[in-house]
Amino acid sequence: MEPIQINIRQLFVLIVLFEHGSAIVIPLGVSAKQDVWIAILLGLALGLLVFSVYGRLFRCYPDQPLVGYIQHIVGAPLGKLLGIVYVTYFLYIAARVLRDFGELLLTFAYPETPLFVLNAIMALVVMYGAYKGLEVLARTGELFLAMLYVMALAGFVLVFVSGVMDLSQLEPVLEEGWGRVWKTVFTETLYVPFGEMIVFTMLFPYVNNPAKVSRAAVIGMALTGLNLAVIAAINMIVLGPDGASRSSFPLLDTIRRIQVAHFFERLDVLFMIALIIGGFFKISIFFYAGVVGAAHLFGISKHQRIVYPLGLLVLLLSIAIASNYAEHIYEGLKIVTFYLHIPLQIIIPVLLLVIAAIRRRFGPSTK
Amino acid sequence: MKRRIAIFVLLVVCTGMLAGCWSKKELTDLAFIIAVGLDKTKDGKYLASFQVVNPGNVAGATQRGGGAAGVPVSIYASTGDSLVEASRKASQKLSRLPYYAHTNLVVIGEEVAREGLDGVFDALERNNQFRTTARLVIAHGHSAQDVLTVLTPVDKISANQIIKTLEFSEMAWGQTMNVDVWQVIRDLSSPGRNPVVTGVKIEGNPTRGKRQTNVQSSVPDARVSLDGLALFKNGRLVKWVNGPTARGVVWVLDRIKQTNVTIPWNGKQEAIGFRTVRAKTDVEAEFKGGRPSISVHIGAEGDISEVLTMVHLNDPAVLLRLEKELDRHIENEVKQAIVSAQRVRTDVFGFGDAVHRAAPRLWKKIQNEWHDRYFPELDVTVTADIYIRRTGLRNKPYMEK
Amino acid sequence: MLFQWGMRQQKKRMDVKQEGSDYSGEASDVPQEPLSAELAVNIDIIRQKTGESSDVIIRRFALGQKWQIKAAIIFVDGLVDEKNVYEFVLTPLLQASFPLALEEKERFQWIEKKLAAVGGVKHISDWGKLFFELFSGATVMLIDGTPFAVSASTKGGEYRSIEEPQTQIAVRGPREGFTESLRANTAMIRRRIRNPNLWLETMQIGTVTQTDVAIMYIKGIVNDGIVKEVRERLRRIDIDSVLESGYIEQLIEDQTFTTFPTTYHTERPDIVAANLLEGRVAVFVEGTPFVLLAPAVFIQFFQAVEDYYARFDIATALRFLRVLIFFISLVAPAIYIAATTFHQEMIPTQLVIAIAAQREAVPFPGFVEALVMEVTFEILREAGVRLPRAVGQAVSIVGALVIGQAAVEAGFVSSAMVIVVSITAIASFATPSFAIAISARLIRFGLMFLAAMFGFYGIMMGILAMILHLCSLRSFGVPYMSPLAPFIPSNAGDTLFRVPTWMFRERPRLINQKNIVRQSGDQKPEPPAPSRQEKGDGA
Repeated sequence: MEPIQINIRQLFVLIVLFEHGSAIVIPLGVSAKQDVWIAILLGLALGLLVFSVYGRLFRCYPDQPLVGYIQHIVGAPLGKLLGIVYVTYFLYIAARVLRDFGELLLTFAYPETPLFVLNAIMALVVMYGAYKGLEVLARTGELFLAMLYVMALAGFVLVFVSGVMDLSQLEPVLEEGWGRVWKTVFTETLYVPFGEMIVFTMLFPYVNNPAKVSRAAVIGMALTGLNLAVIAAINMIVLGPDGASRSSFPLLDTIRRIQVAHFFERLDVLFMIALIIGGFFKISIFFYAGVVGAAHLFGISKHQRIVYPLGLLVLLLSIAIASNYAEHIYEGLKIVTFYLHIPLQIIIPVLLLVIAAIRRRFGPSTK
Repeated sequence: MKRRIAIFVLLVVCTGMLAGCWSKKELTDLAFIIAVGLDKTKDGKYLASFQVVNPGNVAGATQRGGGAAGVPVSIYASTGDSLVEASRKASQKLSRLPYYAHTNLVVIGEEVAREGLDGVFDALERNNQFRTTARLVIAHGHSAQDVLTVLTPVDKISANQIIKTLEFSEMAWGQTMNVDVWQVIRDLSSPGRNPVVTGVKIEGNPTRGKRQTNVQSSVPDARVSLDGLALFKNGRLVKWVNGPTARGVVWVLDRIKQTNVTIPWNGKQEAIGFRTVRAKTDVEAEFKGGRPSISVHIGAEGDISEVLTMVHLNDPAVLLRLEKELDRHIENEVKQAIVSAQRVRTDVFGFGDAVHRAAPRLWKKIQNEWHDRYFPELDVTVTADIYIRRTGLRNKPYMEK
Repeated sequence: MLFQWGMRQQKKRMDVKQEGSDYSGEASDVPQEPLSAELAVNIDIIRQKTGESSDVIIRRFALGQKWQIKAAIIFVDGLVDEKNVYEFVLTPLLQASFPLALEEKERFQWIEKKLAAVGGVKHISDWGKLFFELFSGATVMLIDGTPFAVSASTKGGEYRSIEEPQTQIAVRGPREGFTESLRANTAMIRRRIRNPNLWLETMQIGTVTQTDVAIMYIKGIVNDGIVKEVRERLRRIDIDSVLESGYIEQLIEDQTFTTFPTTYHTERPDIVAANLLEGRVAVFVEGTPFVLLAPAVFIQFFQAVEDYYARFDIATALRFLRVLIFFISLVAPAIYIAATTFHQEMIPTQLVIAIAAQREAVPFPGFVEALVMEVTFEILREAGVRLPRAVGQAVSIVGALVIGQAAVEAGFVSSAMVIVVSITAIASFATPSFAIAISARLIRFGLMFLAAMFGFYGIMMGILAMILHLCSLRSFGVPYMSPLAPFIPSNAGDTLFRVPTWMFRERPRLINQKNIVRQSGDQKPEPPAPSRQEKGDGA
């Protein structure tokens, strides 16, 4: 493992940026209509529960990433296989987010530009960031988090001043009962973004203060959950349940409603900045986790050596995974959720924890 | 290391070569469509008119002379089965790329409005250039194209003239509403509310209004002015309301900012004018025996703006009685508006939404029949609370008795 | 005493050099053998080695009661204060009676005693040292029959006097700036920090030029690791000449392939003093008024010296302004290109129509227009900087025509573009540090290209990459973006904000790691407590 270290604050910043990631721009949980904020908060609650599994695993193996201790727990051959599965999963999700990102950009600002070009530019910067390593990513994150918050605050004030908010759009609360909300939680908000915290199990060993890792992660997730709930609620308040659920990018529509003093209008660029910052960190962290995971599995001492090949792979994958946006979204909601998210985010970590606990109790030594 | 640099350089070069600046649009290649008009032709096709800005001729932007010579806007019209088709066809006449991001006004011809707005807005809402903050008006008694062709003197671009009129009239007079496309789409998609849109009409001679001479005279041959509110039902225009009734609609929708209410006093009609400064309307649904009813509460405060009869404005008791009279007057205005909407069975006030919020289960059952069965018989109580805060710079009129 | 200490250090350094490497380098034709005992031989060698240069003055004279001992003093005209040479070196020797019977060692001691009126009397036994002393402004004395020389420090000659600094001007603050004389420069710092912990190490760099380079720091505040690092990096330098601190800067900075400066240079002694007190290391170079400071962090280039002299609210407002200025000078033309060729939807309708009207007659695409104007401006600026002052006037007149109404009227550019270029230009002038303004100039063109290809997406990705790059930079091990990233709360008071002076409790943490506390914590000034009587009145 490389001797890089980030501090607790930087971990927190990365978690917040990662969790916001694309979640602020995509229509997250809008199938719960005006109860979307409840769905997000419930997703957060369950997400924290799932995270406690990751936290416990990390406490058992504080100096190992996921792909490392997985081999300790289930043995080398199977562990290695699972490690490869996880690395592939991270890289695949990085490609998916990259695709999301390109599609969003294409739809709302660059309709004539080929997807490949937009993705390639982003992939280049992501590769550059991953090449520079986690410390640089974390420092960049500290700068951008401040920027993102300033922008969010400005945006919120502008929306408020525009007078386009209608609080009654959030009513009636729980119109269809809890069913619709739970369905949204279990099909969307639990896995994206909260379940995706699994990727941080790859990065926890780099933190210089392992004792506080879980706390930082929990606070980070909670903060993000609250922010996302507020953002989703504002989208609802401004656009209404119908408007928000028909929109491809509710946040963009909300920003487009801003009209203050005939000057603060047409602020689409705010959306683009949020999209780029969020997208960059989400892709970067998945990608970085994939890269260091692969380096760990195959005993490559410097992860820099595989950044560019894997980056190219992710770029090509992002183009190849679907032929149109609808297919991409369908895969995301149906296939990825059931065949990737649920097993990899929940089932395997829980099994790992159980096996680790059993081994610890009955086996002579896990080491 | 060398190989890595090579890969990197290769990528940069590749993207650089590929980057043919696809989405690039030079300003001089764009036709800024500032307003879109929509009419129907005889054979049932859409007739779309596009008001295109002629930047060189807009005052303030005339940098190298020659400005005053031409007209600031020109109209391109084309027909098609859909809006998109018509707009694509228009490119046969336009020397530039039609650009919709600055389309700030949509004018719908009365005929189209009466046949129904369904399907008109999808292309607008879907398009990434078009912004749904564009204002929407209905051409009252004219075709949309006629409205767009009239040249206007103060704001050179006639679309801007209409938009500004909409804005300031809503703010100062309150008998029209500044409605944008987004709001109309929201109302159309909601089962508990139907849209209301302001109408515009041409005063004078539309054919002479097209000419440059129109703006060279202090009394133009043709003017565009706002005229009434169009009430919609199932996406079709069903009724125009004007004057105090129109203001009643605006009161209920909580869109009044400032307006002037005149009340009779001492037996004299229109004796005292009251100017609202702040107003707030609350609509609430109530239930009596499982049947919904609505209560509308209007709170407003303002000043006395005009007195044409003898009245002692420094007497608080008189002011109280004046307030009572104002309450009654405004309540009547609002009731009148509600009744006229009930008569055509269209809930333009969002009462249905209020019921939906208050009793979602009940709403599920009645929402399909809301406009036709429940709304016309809806029991609406209107209460107004008007406060006269100040009486202006005089406390007594100069004419005694 | 200090001076002697400095000399001692220098001596040590020299020894190290001589042992360690081919320190004489290209000047290796200096004879390695010791000085001869014969005066005539020695003088011949000096003559020969200096090519009989006319500014090397050799004055022969005789010592002893009967003037039987031949001697000579050698000095370089212009480097020495001639009055000193005659009054304090020559006269005492001539007036004294030279004892013949003295041993070699005692002879030196005798001379040293006689020359008490001048400082730095040294015993020289080899040629390298002799020439070094000679060209450093010392007067060298040779005595027949003595196999060594004696040098006495008679440094003098003409230097530029202390003037107001040209580059970093402050409305409030000291008016003196560094000069080309290293000694005068270090003295200016000495005067500001009167503390024995202010240490100075001198060494010679440049195999031909033998330029004096001095490291200054405050022992006990500075991080010894950084001093060691600076010393190591300076020691590694093997170059024929050092004519300006820029040579040193480029040889010791952490990364070459970056447009951002990773050392700070200044010609203001107050800035150097302040930075020494924060734990930085200053590098003085003989012959230039620019002193290097290391490590440097990004935000430092936005800190004008006046920020600390003005009150904190004003200083804070100006800091924000400066960051804004930097940002404008970085992206203004790029945003113009992106907004007018990709994102016309973002510009308010009235404005976009106005800009479109101006562009109607311009035959170039937006990008070309912007590029031509920016390059024109850069040409003008370069012309303005390099031209003799008398011609400057003409340049500004022509410039006003090129970037101005005439260009607009000719239909080459739109007036909006002229405004953008002008704002960019003013912004880049207003950046307090020239070093960072120059890097913004370079990056600006890159961002313009990106904007022309991808609009705002390009600009954003460019800025993202730039910030990644900034975050990956280090200056002598200190992260370049600190204390913003990594964020250090106790040091954040001197970044975008400048907190009141009584709140500056700590020195920058990453730069100096042990002696952190700068001042006591309870210095907030308050009006005096009201007396009892006043209290009574109030109640």
